[in-house]
Amino acid sequence: MVEQLIDTDKLKKIAEEVISREDVRLLIGYRKGTFGFRMRPAFVEEVSEVGELEFTPACVNNLATYLTNYERPPLPRGTTNDTRKVAVMVKGCDSRALLQQMVELAYKRDDVIILGIPCNGVIDPAKVDKRFPEAKGPGDVKREGDNFTFSADGKTETVPAAEVIADKCTRCRYPTPLVYDELLAPEVERFADDTYEDIAGLEKRGSDEKWAYWEEKFSRCVRCYGCRNVCPMCYCDECVLDRLSPQWMRRSVDISENTAYHISRAYHLAGRCIQCGECQRVCPMDIPIMEMNRKFYKDVAEFYEYEPGTDAEEKPLLSIFSVDDKEDFIL
Amino acid sequence: MNGRPRIGVYICHCGVNIAHTVDVQEVTDFAAGLPDVAVARNYSYMCSDPGQALITEDIKELGLNRVVVASCSPRMHELTFRKALAGAGLNPYYLEMANIREQCSWVHEDRSIATSKAKKLVASAISKSRMLEALEVKEVDVEPAALIIGAGISGIQTALDIADAGFKVYLVEKSPTVGGHMAQLDKTFPTLDCSACILTPKMVDVGNHPNIELYTYSQVEEISGYVGNFDVKVRRKSRYVDMAKCTGCGDCAEACRMAGRISNEFDEGMGMRGAIYLPFPQAVPAKYTIDKEKCLFLSKGKCGESPKCAEACQPGAVNFDIEDEIIEFKVGTIVVASGFDVFDATLKPEYGYGVYDNVVTALEFERLVSASGPTGGKITMLERGKKKKKKKEGEEEVPPRMPESITFIQCVGSRDKSVGNEYCSRVCCMYTAKQAHLAKDKIPGVDVSVFYMDVRAFGKGFEEFYDRVRREGVNYIRGNPSEIFKRGDKLVVKAEDTLTATPLEHETDMVVLAVGLTPRSDRREIIDMLKLSQSPDLFYLEAHPKLRPVDTATDGIYLAGCCQAPKDIPDAVAQAKGAASAAMIPMASGKVKVEAQTSIVNEAACRGCGFCVEICPFSAIELVEVNQMGWMREVARVNEALCKGCGACAAGCLSGAIQQRSFKDTQILPQIIVLGVNE
Amino acid sequence: MTEDKAKATVTTDFEPNIVAFLCNWCSYAGADLAGTSRIQYPANVKVIRVMCSGRVNPLFVMNALQQGADGVLVSGCHPGDCHYMHGNYYARRRFTLMRDFLEYLGVEPERFRASWVSASEGSKWKEVIEEVVEGVKSVGPMDQFKRRQLNW
Repeated sequence: MVEQLIDTDKLKKIAEEVISREDVRLLIGYRKGTFGFRMRPAFVEEVSEVGELEFTPACVNNLATYLTNYERPPLPRGTTNDTRKVAVMVKGCDSRALLQQMVELAYKRDDVIILGIPCNGVIDPAKVDKRFPEAKGPGDVKREGDNFTFSADGKTETVPAAEVIADKCTRCRYPTPLVYDELLAPEVERFADDTYEDIAGLEKRGSDEKWAYWEEKFSRCVRCYGCRNVCPMCYCDECVLDRLSPQWMRRSVDISENTAYHISRAYHLAGRCIQCGECQRVCPMDIPIMEMNRKFYKDVAEFYEYEPGTDAEEKPLLSIFSVDDKEDFIL
Repeated sequence: MNGRPRIGVYICHCGVNIAHTVDVQEVTDFAAGLPDVAVARNYSYMCSDPGQALITEDIKELGLNRVVVASCSPRMHELTFRKALAGAGLNPYYLEMANIREQCSWVHEDRSIATSKAKKLVASAISKSRMLEALEVKEVDVEPAALIIGAGISGIQTALDIADAGFKVYLVEKSPTVGGHMAQLDKTFPTLDCSACILTPKMVDVGNHPNIELYTYSQVEEISGYVGNFDVKVRRKSRYVDMAKCTGCGDCAEACRMAGRISNEFDEGMGMRGAIYLPFPQAVPAKYTIDKEKCLFLSKGKCGESPKCAEACQPGAVNFDIEDEIIEFKVGTIVVASGFDVFDATLKPEYGYGVYDNVVTALEFERLVSASGPTGGKITMLERGKKKKKKKEGEEEVPPRMPESITFIQCVGSRDKSVGNEYCSRVCCMYTAKQAHLAKDKIPGVDVSVFYMDVRAFGKGFEEFYDRVRREGVNYIRGNPSEIFKRGDKLVVKAEDTLTATPLEHETDMVVLAVGLTPRSDRREIIDMLKLSQSPDLFYLEAHPKLRPVDTATDGIYLAGCCQAPKDIPDAVAQAKGAASAAMIPMASGKVKVEAQTSIVNEAACRGCGFCVEICPFSAIELVEVNQMGWMREVARVNEALCKGCGACAAGCLSGAIQQRSFKDTQILPQIIVLGVNE
Repeated sequence: MTEDKAKATVTTDFEPNIVAFLCNWCSYAGADLAGTSRIQYPANVKVIRVMCSGRVNPLFVMNALQQGADGVLVSGCHPGDCHYMHGNYYARRRFTLMRDFLEYLGVEPERFRASWVSASEGSKWKEVIEEVVEGVKSVGPMDQFKRRQLNW
């Protein structure tokens, strides 16, 4: 029996304590969105803003992204950037992004205050939009047993969780954050496993069929780069895929350049993707981006017994090797 | 000077070597038509003086700023043509070569196919040449001093050679004396000269040499820098004895309340010493050391009324207030000669070492045979762990009996996957033969057997010695014993004679385990300090197994002796002399050239993830904090003196911020475009 | 698509274009040795020299295929022999993952090969070339995401 886990009052109390601290400059959490059942990120700098914080199963965003993806405009001469801590709310999956960011030295453990959210699954906004095409909201989503309860525009409806839960949650092995300073609710026991069924089917097919599948997907891509921009791991100041010199790919939107883009993006996440699924969530063209990430994820786990974002002390996968690494394809 | 590329392309006939299968005129015409090509020529031998003159004249007269030579392999003549460019005042790194001989005309027969491939290769080289950049060949000064870590025979020899050549040497040894394992040996195979007789003069030499700064009982704590400029920090542990005052008379040791109560490491724990001690009489320096853990005054705070050693010492050298000292100095090169450990025989429990008194290791046996050993050179049956009964007045001392039979077991801890040591320790076959001989020599009529897998008598005089020992009546049995147990007062070695396929139980008084050589248990200290690599056997890894056996991957750091792999004394000395001469090359020239095709970081694009820092096999990259318009960030920075120019960092960088000069993405991608397109 | 390929494979005169990245110290020297030994092999492979197989960014492979190369070969020193100690070990991990991924997208595994060729293996170089060329011939011209040549 899974229930709504987070006590909003407790969340606000802790948030208030945290943002009141001298050494904290920002708290990143969730607040209600403006439309439908959406939640949106909240950037809390003052105690007065704490009241809007909330956590519901509609809090799909991985807030870890905002720890690394921000602009750095030039600062007035003689001043340096504010190095006070940032507090961030993370679900189990999101917490792995923090660990991976720490593996990649994006910041130190002491630079962040992690408010961990044990999570029993979030909704898939796309599925919800389909289910409630008319909902204007802003609405509420609650977890009650095996159902989600949606209330908006004066109406309340109960939907079996399985129908609207995000795919990634059905194979979540880390429902409780792997790293945190404060846990906002009791730990959630692991309730699912990952068997890679979603990619196994395609893996078995022939080259022509595989390519036919991907050709259709890639040709849809409009190169909005949303998948890259939302990714908590993609935070290079200058993405190589944008460069003109050297130019790895042209800007034109066609099957060749789109494919090159998707190969490059996925390869750059090999051994780094922590399976939060944000890339696919934001894709306006419904490209199954996670299937590519998961192919790498599966290979990395199988070949190197490596799982990114589970240990801040781990070395980056492609910066290490074992003398006995597999090499069956090498002549 | 380097505006728009003006490229000169030179196609070599190489006599008929290229021209026979490649239509050089067609390739020349093709090249001449490519963008930015100012001139394209062909000539019979580009590498000849007139050939090179074509290039230098064109550079001067036509203002070329890029040169493409299509000829043999760049591995053959890249340097030649680079010099030609430099001679004409053009930066030598503006050269690109197309290999149309080894990888084209010599491997293809069809003229049209070879010609069209040659065109592709030339076009590829031209496309890269447009993007080439001038590189600076840098030199760094070399401090004319060397650090030697470890003062066994290898370290001693290295130090003496370098010091004799006139360079300053800092010789650092962990233990209180120089000499290492060799000092523990009695005789040396196959010539049977006395180990001490040949070693002690060298020990004295390092102690007295005007160019050698000897730091015994000391440890290297920190090393930073790169070839030519290493900064070294050494901790001289306190001996609690004023080195300047100690005369080495030994009065203190006699007076020590712990005298004769602490087992002596030098005798492999079979002899006894006091808390203040000299490891052995010929120790260098001949200065006493107080064992901090065992000294009553230092460990318990109280030694009777007052410490007896201090009372006994007439020059007043004993001083309990002396503290560790940190010494810092600069060296140009480093030789690691940290030696080995002896295999721990308790890891082979079937042999009963540590259980049966008279199962001994070969090094223990060596001390038993040695005239300076605990038994004065008599091989006697051992009673370990038993306290010696105090002699009563007038009672005759019963001398311990000598063994009537001694059995040696070879390859203990070598060539043995079960203990993780697959390698051969290289010395055990011969020292066993030597010890077997010594046993025969010292105990008339003794029965000596050797269990072996193979006898490897590969060195000068080895096979002859092995033959001699067998003629002396040593019984060699081919078989790897499975077990040793006790029956009555005899030890029983259970084995199979594999030559006759006979299982046997061999009774004996004493078993000597020919233990192998293993990497030192404290090897990580040096690995972490110097970023050395280990080979699969965990010994330090040389830069190349054949051609650079004394070098490491890091310039200016060399290996000598058994820290690299097991060796006998002549091999260790030979390698030590090799390492000494290798270490002297940069010191003698006074300058070292550093690789020009190194990596470089675009700090604005670097996200400071440290991937390259991890990847770099030469520890040439570090993260440094920079202020970017007020934002404090860590970015990668390359130490060009350490970078070897492999480019592994560049391929591992996600943002493309780190690039290898002459092999940048901007230089390789144009090649891919030219070669990739299939026309 | 499939029909095109069938056509191409039937045309026996398909000569694939293969781009190879060779490390300077082992494979490039091995290829030079093949030349010095006058060992004849197919001319389909064109070499780009790098100092170490560790320099080869797997995106080079993608890029070559996109330019229209029908196959790519990366060759370096045997494990343990790398001139730079470990470069080929890093390369091995990168290529293993990239190759499996390309295969998952429908790029035939024959199009991307790797080999260890030492400076003394001139004859192995020939064998590698023959095997790679044969493999690429069997899957026909690269037609998945080849860049459309624009001529404006």
